Amino acid sequence: MPEYKSVKVKQGRGGWGGPLTITPSDQRPLIYSVTGGGIHPVAARIAELTGGEAFDGFKSSAPFDKIAVAVIDCGGTARVGVYPMKKVLTVDIHATSPAGPLAQFITEDLFVSGVKPDDVEPA
Amino acid sequence: MTGTTAPPRVVYDSTVTAVGEQVEAFLGHGLLIFFGDDSPAELHDMSVRHTAVVAEEGPRPGDTIVLGEQQMEVLAVGPVVADNLLQLGHLDLKANGLSEPKLPGDVNVAKQDLPLLSPGDAFRILRGDGRTTEDQT
Repeated sequence: MPEYKSVKVKQGRGGWGGPLTITPSDQRPLIYSVTGGGIHPVAARIAELTGGEAFDGFKSSAPFDKIAVAVIDCGGTARVGVYPMKKVLTVDIHATSPAGPLAQFITEDLFVSGVKPDDVEPA
Repeated sequence: MTGTTAPPRVVYDSTVTAVGEQVEAFLGHGLLIFFGDDSPAELHDMSVRHTAVVAEEGPRPGDTIVLGEQQMEVLAVGPVVADNLLQLGHLDLKANGLSEPKLPGDVNVAKQDLPLLSPGDAFRILRGDGRTTEDQT
């Protein structure tokens, strides 16, 4: 059994929401990267520091209840709402704020944006 | 002044493969969301999925977007649009008539009724005057 550690993810320049504390577990081991170009460096850093499993959402799909955190490169409309709506912690690498058709689900206890690898620290 | 006009260049050429259940509701808000065929399942409900055969460039203002039988001019393009389209097949099309992108992923066109697409319909981006990247400033 892997041992999991926690990280704190704070908003980056121009970002919104958070900070989020992310702790994977045996039930929720996945650091789910829904980003272009494979596992994003922010997801890789969260996985490295927590012991979670980096997972590329565009290569295969995972059930929501396995996801410790979703890392997205959303431009502000679609993905920003999808994961918070399912109560999945969400990190957007772009500096977005609540908007789009699912804006009502985007809250600062579930969502943080503008995040760079340096904004992820051991908690 | 004007010589012969070069034929439009197809910078993105794709075919719709599936249309999510929420897509029609979003049309009422002037919003159409695209994702590539390999997008994760949780995004399927809200999006039109498609598979591209040409994915050279993202849209620019002045380009024409073809959706099935409908054509529309691009008014504004956010800074993350090209990456999202070329890497994920993702695009947020907004029929809001705005000449500035409100969100970094927005592609704005004139206010209009966006079409409810069906599998087999075209999703294409045309660059009107055949100029290349180097010619444009």
